[in-house]
Amino acid sequence: MSSKRLSLGGGFYVPAVLAVITIVYLISAIKIGPPMKDGNMTASFFPIVTAVLMLVALVVAMAQDVRRARSEEHKTPDAEVDDDAELSKTYGGISVGAISVVLLTAGYLLAFDLIGYFVSTFFYVLLLMFQFGSGAAKNWLMRLIATCAITGAGYLLFEVFFQVRLPTFWS
Amino acid sequence: MESLYGLLGGFAALANPETLLYMVGGFLIGTLFGAVPGLTSVLAIALLLPLTYSLDVTTALVACASIFMAGMCSGSITATTINIPGAPSSMMTALEGYPMQRRGEGAKALGHAALGSMIGGSVGALLLMVLSPLAADVALLIRTPGKFSLIAFALIVIIISQRGSVTKGMIATLLGVMIATIGIDVVQPLARFTFGSSVLVQGIDMMPLIIGTFAISELLIQADSRSARTVDPSKLQAAKVKRRDFIPPLSEVREIGLVRYLKSAVIGYAVGILPGAGGSMAAFVSYAESMRSSKHPERYGKGNPEGIASAECANNSMCGGAFVPMLTFGIPGDPTTAIVLGVLVINGLQPGPQFMTQQLDLVAPMFASLFVSALILVPLTLYLLGPYFLKIVSIRRDVLYSSIAVVALVGSYVATYSTFQMALALVFGVLAYFLRKQKYPTVCLLLGFVLGPSLEEYCRRALSINDGSPMVFLTSPDSLFFIALTAVFFYFMVIRKPRENPLKAMSD
Repeated sequence: MSSKRLSLGGGFYVPAVLAVITIVYLISAIKIGPPMKDGNMTASFFPIVTAVLMLVALVVAMAQDVRRARSEEHKTPDAEVDDDAELSKTYGGISVGAISVVLLTAGYLLAFDLIGYFVSTFFYVLLLMFQFGSGAAKNWLMRLIATCAITGAGYLLFEVFFQVRLPTFWS
Repeated sequence: MESLYGLLGGFAALANPETLLYMVGGFLIGTLFGAVPGLTSVLAIALLLPLTYSLDVTTALVACASIFMAGMCSGSITATTINIPGAPSSMMTALEGYPMQRRGEGAKALGHAALGSMIGGSVGALLLMVLSPLAADVALLIRTPGKFSLIAFALIVIIISQRGSVTKGMIATLLGVMIATIGIDVVQPLARFTFGSSVLVQGIDMMPLIIGTFAISELLIQADSRSARTVDPSKLQAAKVKRRDFIPPLSEVREIGLVRYLKSAVIGYAVGILPGAGGSMAAFVSYAESMRSSKHPERYGKGNPEGIASAECANNSMCGGAFVPMLTFGIPGDPTTAIVLGVLVINGLQPGPQFMTQQLDLVAPMFASLFVSALILVPLTLYLLGPYFLKIVSIRRDVLYSSIAVVALVGSYVATYSTFQMALALVFGVLAYFLRKQKYPTVCLLLGFVLGPSLEEYCRRALSINDGSPMVFLTSPDSLFFIALTAVFFYFMVIRKPRENPLKAMSD
């Protein structure tokens, strides 16, 4: 038996995390009460069945990934290096770009209620402009103008056109 | 006769300038989203969903229908010009369109695609108008056990149609079902899976799930790319085309033949009715049938207008078929109709067998929008905007995705005026990002979420009225029919080897 560790990737860890969530869900479902009462299904029956089916499917998915990892052990590593060179740096299966967008969006959600639509959206869009643009410092004036235009267009669309009351700094 | 008047009333509703504006605007947005690689018409409709809170339901449905039709046909633009299908349903079009583009017939290929889309879309919309009342009559015959078996059939077919990733399809579907169980129980007033949080008692709204799954996850995926534009401008240096180049020669249209157009439209419509099949499957089946029945199968894959016509005809006809199960049974078979169902639910409407007769005035303009979009807007858009298509698809990514982020997040805020919905959209976006990275079909997640509560409700009701005996599913004829149908689909899609991919056949 090989002493080398299997190179398991997202194909294993995504179902593994889902399995943990499903187990928490299953425990909560069991806590609701017995699945059958007087010959009838209760509120816990369907979630319990769903969770059990989910766990079976997740185990199959993890087993498939282990099998894939084992078969890839015998392949030459050259092809993998080429493929990976194309990919951006990742942490825990999520790329740096995606982490940036998640953090920016989380910050935007916090700021949205606190400082209102205009200021929060302006900075959110400006930072996204640099995230999705090719050069970090290039065309900053163009990006500033586009940021103002998108913030203004969003206001027009929601507040003026569809009459949605957006939060403001002074409200 | 009353139905006919109702349907004609739908066309009259389009004469309202506001409704007409939304139909044309929706079509143009759908064309843009369908044409730009990475964007889809599903994303366009998902972004429209929050706005439906402020829109009249008829107007919202009209806009959804035109986006759906536009998104289906506009994928052929980049499929033909740069060999990158704007939408998955245009993959077969790329096979024939790009070789035509390389020999300087790109405009003609787009013309054939538009003609096929026009005929297919119109026939699909007409079949929808004619056959929906019949389907509604049939739906009235289905009782509670049968409804359970029908939804189970839909979910199973959606899962097994994920060729090569059935396990992943099952996981995504069950995850959707699990998310849908959060909140008040479907039968008794009991809160489930709220984990002590009062905001979860009302359950998870469909909107943050849709926005997260289709918009936020797309932002996260696109954040990896470093290119400045959606399509590299260096790929777009094509010869200048004139508008008359888009009109396909009559001789070629005759060679394709009316029978092939109609057959492709019927195939597309029938595939559209099936849960989980979608435009790609419709185009694939129609293309394969067209190649099989062609006098010159050897010309396929080398720039044959027949292939373009059959694929485009079928994927646009699919739009009409996809609405049948959603409107008559409340069962959406694809993400677009699931979001349209969301529009109806937001407005307090629940589709079902009697929906077509009781709410015909609401849905008739949507049918009319499908028909007019296909018959008039498809060729008109190509004729007017065709020469500029190549410039349209190359958009600055920073402007595009920043705009999508604002519309998606602020749109999530609209439902409850609370940032909780925005946070939920972000959570579902991150979840969908991981699922998409590992090739899990997020469509299954959405359909599981939509169909899960009905599956549970009908299962429990059927058992409670039959003293908890599961035999009711085998003794009820309608239920037995759907169980047998599930077995037939399972046999043909899983046990027996499916038909060989024409792509592979050609390469061999």
